[in-house]
Amino acid sequence: MTRAVRERPQGAAIARRVAGHIGRGLVMIWVVATISFFIIREIPGDPVQGMYETLLQKGMSPDQAERATAVLYGFLPTGSLWHQYVDYMWSLLHLDLGQSLSTPGVKVTSLIGSAAQWTVLPVLAGTLLSFLLGVTMGVYAAIKRSGKLGDLLALSGSLLHGVPVYVIGLLLTAIFTTLWPILPAGGPVDVAYVPGFNAGYIGSLVYHAVLPVATYTLASYGGWILAMKSNVVAVLGDDFILAAELRGLRRGFVFRYLARNAILPLFTILALSIGMLFGGSIFIEEIFNYPGLGLLLVNSISTRDYALMGGAFLVITVGIVVANIVADLLYTAIDPRVRSGETA
Amino acid sequence: MTVTVLPPGAGEVAAGTTRAALRRNFWRGVWRVLCRKPSRMAGVVIVVGFAVMGVVGPLLYPANLPRDDNALYAAPSLQHPFGTDFEGTDVLALVVTGARYVLLTGLATAVITVALGTAIGLFAGFRRGGWDTALMRLTDLNLAIPGLPLLLVLSTVWKFTSPLSMGLVLGLLGWGGVARAVRSQTLSLRERGFIEAARGLGLPTTHIIGRELLPSMAPYIAMNMLIAVTGAVYAQVGLFFLGVLPFDANNWGVMLNLAVFSGGALTTPAALPYLLAPLIAILLLTLGIVLIVDAMDEIFNPRLREE
Repeated sequence: MTRAVRERPQGAAIARRVAGHIGRGLVMIWVVATISFFIIREIPGDPVQGMYETLLQKGMSPDQAERATAVLYGFLPTGSLWHQYVDYMWSLLHLDLGQSLSTPGVKVTSLIGSAAQWTVLPVLAGTLLSFLLGVTMGVYAAIKRSGKLGDLLALSGSLLHGVPVYVIGLLLTAIFTTLWPILPAGGPVDVAYVPGFNAGYIGSLVYHAVLPVATYTLASYGGWILAMKSNVVAVLGDDFILAAELRGLRRGFVFRYLARNAILPLFTILALSIGMLFGGSIFIEEIFNYPGLGLLLVNSISTRDYALMGGAFLVITVGIVVANIVADLLYTAIDPRVRSGETA
Repeated sequence: MTVTVLPPGAGEVAAGTTRAALRRNFWRGVWRVLCRKPSRMAGVVIVVGFAVMGVVGPLLYPANLPRDDNALYAAPSLQHPFGTDFEGTDVLALVVTGARYVLLTGLATAVITVALGTAIGLFAGFRRGGWDTALMRLTDLNLAIPGLPLLLVLSTVWKFTSPLSMGLVLGLLGWGGVARAVRSQTLSLRERGFIEAARGLGLPTTHIIGRELLPSMAPYIAMNMLIAVTGAVYAQVGLFFLGVLPFDANNWGVMLNLAVFSGGALTTPAALPYLLAPLIAILLLTLGIVLIVDAMDEIFNPRLREE
């Protein structure tokens, strides 16, 4: 009886949180879509209008030309601003992002679909590795904070946290592909292997992923170690740690109390960290010639493929929004205080 | 020793003479924190060095840097400590003259980020209520928006290559973190005794905010300003490195772009110094800022201090 009464508000609180997140995420996606719409419209030389007029000159009827342009850009060349905007949003709702200009006849959605895996998997691997590494080192840095080792660890964290990700990537490339060539310089996989579940192909995939994943890891390692260090230092001063020590508990137990309470707040940083890595993917993929979303975005700008540009921008945003929601759900699942709605 | 723990705002309530003494003690405390770890002194030296480089650097060299067609990608030597680039220009000269653009942008970004963030955070935290909710929603949006992808997309319509316009864009995209930190500081400070006393005395709001709240937060704001500089270096050098902005002037990002994409610095070891020089400059600048922030953290956050 009491159980049922207690559980219902919990479920409601979680549902409210998730609904709130999805609502805010949708607003975010809408804002980004609106920004892309206006930017594509304001680009000097108006590519949509230009395409429409070229098609007219080629002898197409205005109707045909309008339809052809709309297919390419997901964008009406004529009509009022409001009309164009509503039409753009309407096709977005149908997951229609138009067609790519640089690879004619291919839908933007399919280009993005094949690029997404090359971004999402390394970002996840980098997040996981840097989390494990940063949390462990953070505990050490907090416990040894008066010694040389602690200082050095904290300094490495601050420095890596502040250094641009392309500096890390370029230095790693310079060291491991030019000065001491033991790792491949770029590309996602050796083309000699047949794609599929065979040892050669997968080994080559992993081999090529070492440097990009190492860069992702080093780029967000700094944030984790700094946050974990300050959390552990804060928890060390708490009464329950003192109580545990006074009770004469073994160091292992005290350590477990410590780590559990210090790790919790880190989950709020998870979303920010993943968002940062998605942004960093632009540089990492450019440096390692890795065919992910970031490279797609940069290439779409240099080839003036604006439909693709808008699409890639939108999908990166969606990725960050989804990461936000997942991070919050994880946090809710782990922290009992959030679950019962004690803290908003 | 305990004197340095007091936030500068606490000195305001003291009489004039003690205030001067407090300030003297404060600077003595700063000096002691700097001296205890020489690395922090190094941080100050590095940042001051870069500032000097940004101010007088371009004056040391002629407007058009000399080229030497006989020394393309020359190896590091006494004459060219970092070798030469693809046209035979001294790489060190390029780094030194390129510093002004990078640092000016960093400064502009930091000022705009901190001014906007502090104003919004203070207003939201002090007013509370509906304004607070609305401003924090805006802050959440600002924090969640993918800044770099947005900058790339923006670069197609707006060539923000001057340091000031670049600083404006970066500042407008980056104030969220400062706003949130300042708001939570304001929320906790406004319940504290000295603010309540000021309110009880009937002092005007401008006085409470300007003379009581802001000085207590000054260290956090200053630290955020330094951190904003590293963020600005990341974004601006990155945009030039990707080559989405026109190369109007020489700066570190342009050097990186030319070294990697046309110099082949990643495949030919001869061009490596050309790539490494701007990388080392960015690393050093970040290191200097990090060391100073670390020292400030210890000066103003007594919990981190342990003797």
